[in-house]
Amino acid sequence: MGNQNGLLTCKGGEPAPRPTIVAGTVAFLLFLPLAISVPLATEILIWTIFGLGFNILLGYTGVLSFGHAAYFGLGAYAAGLAFRYWHASVLTGIALGIIGPMLLACFIGALAIRRRGVYFAMISLAFGQMLYFMALSPLKHITRGEDGLTHIPVMTFFSISLNKPLYLYYFIFVITAVMLFLTWRFLQSPFGKLLQAFRENEERAKACGYNTTLIKFFSLVVSAFYAGLAGALNTVYLGYVPLTTLFWLTSGTMVMMTILGGRGTFLGPLVGAGVFLFLQNTISLFTPRWELIVGSIFVVIILLFPAGIMGTIQEKVAAFRMARQKT
Amino acid sequence: MFADIPWTVIVLQLFFGLALGSIYVLLASGMSIIFGLLGVVNFAHGTFAMLGAYAVFIAISLSGNFFVGIVSAIIIVAVIGAVTEFFLLKPLYVKKDELLPLLLTFGLSVAVPDFMKIVFGLIGKPVSYPESLSGAMLVGPFIFPNYRLFIIIFTLAILTFLWLFLKKSDLGMIIRAATQESEMVQMLGVNVSRIWTIGFSIGVGLAALAGAVAAPMMSATPDMGVEMTMVAFVVTVVGGLGSLGGAIVGGLFIGLVVAVAAFIAGEYANVSMYFCMAVILLVRPRGLFGEIGRE
Amino acid sequence: MFLHTENIAIHFGGLKAVDGVDFELKEGRLKSIIGPNGAGKTTLFNLIAGVYTPTYGKVFFKGADITALPLHKVSRMGITKTYQINHIFPSLTVFENLRIAAQSGVTTFNFWRTTASYREVNERATSVLEQVELKEKRNWLASTLSHGERRYLEIGIALATRPQVLLLDEPTAGMSVAETNLCAELIRKLNKSLKLSIVLVEHDMSVVMEISDDILVLNEGRKLAEGTPQQVSDNEEVQNVYLGGE
Repeated sequence: MGNQNGLLTCKGGEPAPRPTIVAGTVAFLLFLPLAISVPLATEILIWTIFGLGFNILLGYTGVLSFGHAAYFGLGAYAAGLAFRYWHASVLTGIALGIIGPMLLACFIGALAIRRRGVYFAMISLAFGQMLYFMALSPLKHITRGEDGLTHIPVMTFFSISLNKPLYLYYFIFVITAVMLFLTWRFLQSPFGKLLQAFRENEERAKACGYNTTLIKFFSLVVSAFYAGLAGALNTVYLGYVPLTTLFWLTSGTMVMMTILGGRGTFLGPLVGAGVFLFLQNTISLFTPRWELIVGSIFVVIILLFPAGIMGTIQEKVAAFRMARQKT
Repeated sequence: MFADIPWTVIVLQLFFGLALGSIYVLLASGMSIIFGLLGVVNFAHGTFAMLGAYAVFIAISLSGNFFVGIVSAIIIVAVIGAVTEFFLLKPLYVKKDELLPLLLTFGLSVAVPDFMKIVFGLIGKPVSYPESLSGAMLVGPFIFPNYRLFIIIFTLAILTFLWLFLKKSDLGMIIRAATQESEMVQMLGVNVSRIWTIGFSIGVGLAALAGAVAAPMMSATPDMGVEMTMVAFVVTVVGGLGSLGGAIVGGLFIGLVVAVAAFIAGEYANVSMYFCMAVILLVRPRGLFGEIGRE
Repeated sequence: MFLHTENIAIHFGGLKAVDGVDFELKEGRLKSIIGPNGAGKTTLFNLIAGVYTPTYGKVFFKGADITALPLHKVSRMGITKTYQINHIFPSLTVFENLRIAAQSGVTTFNFWRTTASYREVNERATSVLEQVELKEKRNWLASTLSHGERRYLEIGIALATRPQVLLLDEPTAGMSVAETNLCAELIRKLNKSLKLSIVLVEHDMSVVMEISDDILVLNEGRKLAEGTPQQVSDNEEVQNVYLGGE
């Protein structure tokens, strides 16, 4: 975009950062295990993937779903069942973990995506709970209910055993890097650009001829892709599928991470996942009451810094540049 | 199969459904008032119900009287609600993002139960049935537990009182007007901001009432709020967003559905209400009493 | 007939906002809708655009019944509206605002190609940029434009969708006298040079009289008068209800 007219060309909420930032992020993740524990780093990767998709739906399209655990959990269970009962390979299991949630998203989207924001949030939450209770009781013979799905065989990827934490980390790292790249391309595509306009003024987008319902539907399905992928990877990582993957707090955690990191920013998901998980881990060392602290921080964020970490940083940088140009 | 079940048992299940539905009605009415008046979806609605349950526990411990306990619970939680609305929600109205209040109440729904765990411990606090309401009433072939009968009648009384308040009193009229046209009401010189606080208090007061009344049946536990919020959501979707009549009909309907489901196929009890919601979304998306455009 | 309504009406509860109006726009003409406040101008406007569904009556465009079509489909058919209050995309640049509109109908669900690679879309946006005289502000954020420039951008966004009919809702709202004259010139140019058919809702009578080919006068949801500017200003009823007292 160049520096014509100085301050007036700097973007407030850019949809896609420069390639250097994407590359830098990948490099950062490459060396992350050197700085923090491998399990924590792996969880950050998984939730970043989850978050990239969720951010497309919430941060860019502007649709709040409180039931994304349904997609995450379904992906986890689909992969888990495939691994355990069909001895599926890693990639097959992951593929199933993606397809299932996408189909579910088509179903829920067809029923509910037309609804206005807060209404959809409620409905998505209710659907998420429905899946949770289905897995808890009626479908217990498949999901093993509260115990979770255990006895998942150790995964190998082209004869590399994924049992070793560090190998597993880099396996997931490669997938994360690919997803970061794809997301980056996505945001620059016609659809990605459209989303940014859409969240600014959905009404006008409609007046320009865009079928806004279809757009929201697509975003939902795309976000389910990411959520299912993250869920499947979670199964590979944990070696079993806990029922909590379907629980509303999982959905809520994703919402908190996204807002915390900064919705509608490229790095928001990673930052949000990183900060949240780091906080959760650190607080848990002292007290099991991490929800109180994290919940309170979230309330403060909503009141004072609704743009989240990256969003607030971007605002400050833009304001700083503007002020400097004026003098 | 159904022919084997004595009809007295069926009637009893329906009766249980009405009692359960009455609690749902209280929850959903509160949420409906808050949404209709403030445009806020209160994700922490169940949390306030939970506070109501704990409040009645404390009040009974102090006073020994169940009814005093209920009244105190409503007042305490209504005050907490007013404070919450004033300090936490009001700053958000100006931002014109209808997701922000929902997100804030969500944050509360995560933080507050945890706080209760610190103060009151992880295990729930049992609340005993009041002496006067224990036991059951025999009506012909039926044995109706007194307490559930109380719930139904009490809810009816509350709803009647609420109806009278909204229809006849000055404040009630203002609230009704503000629900339809808040700008208009503002121009007439009414302090809408205060109305919103009052409305929120009434809404969470009803939730607290639901929690307090349910407490003897389920104990006061920190995590009981989540399911109650879900119920309020489902009933709201079924009944229609922002419709008080819908909250009543929807609440009773869902209550009956859950009770019957619990009886017929126990493991589907929880899921049954979500099925209903899915069906309504398919067949009549705006809910039974909802207006087109609200959704 | 090009664009017309047949006995169109919409009732909001007891309020008959539009009560049986036959509106006709001939191809290539510029027709204004005027009337006192509450006459139903914007409502009629929105009925044509597909924002509202009429209680009864129909809308036809080039022979096709478009009554039931929603807003975005009407736009795809070639009738695009603007808004009285600016509905632009504030944190996008001027060029991007236009490009988003130009992109409509060309591609939506492409996830891979970059927008920069769609040459015709970019060219369209550039040409509209010139038409609405915002070329120097190409890379400025839309939120930094002055009010008058935003109204031009408002029109530009609609233009970029390649409409056959442009529905303009009080485009000169909030403009100074000088800006209003320039805007009127722009609209006239769009009509005459680009051969765009235009429906204009306006309060500023000087603009209406200056550039309209035809005028429809509404009052209380019904047609009060119709004709050329001269015919309308000579009409006594119109003078009493609307122009009278000026």
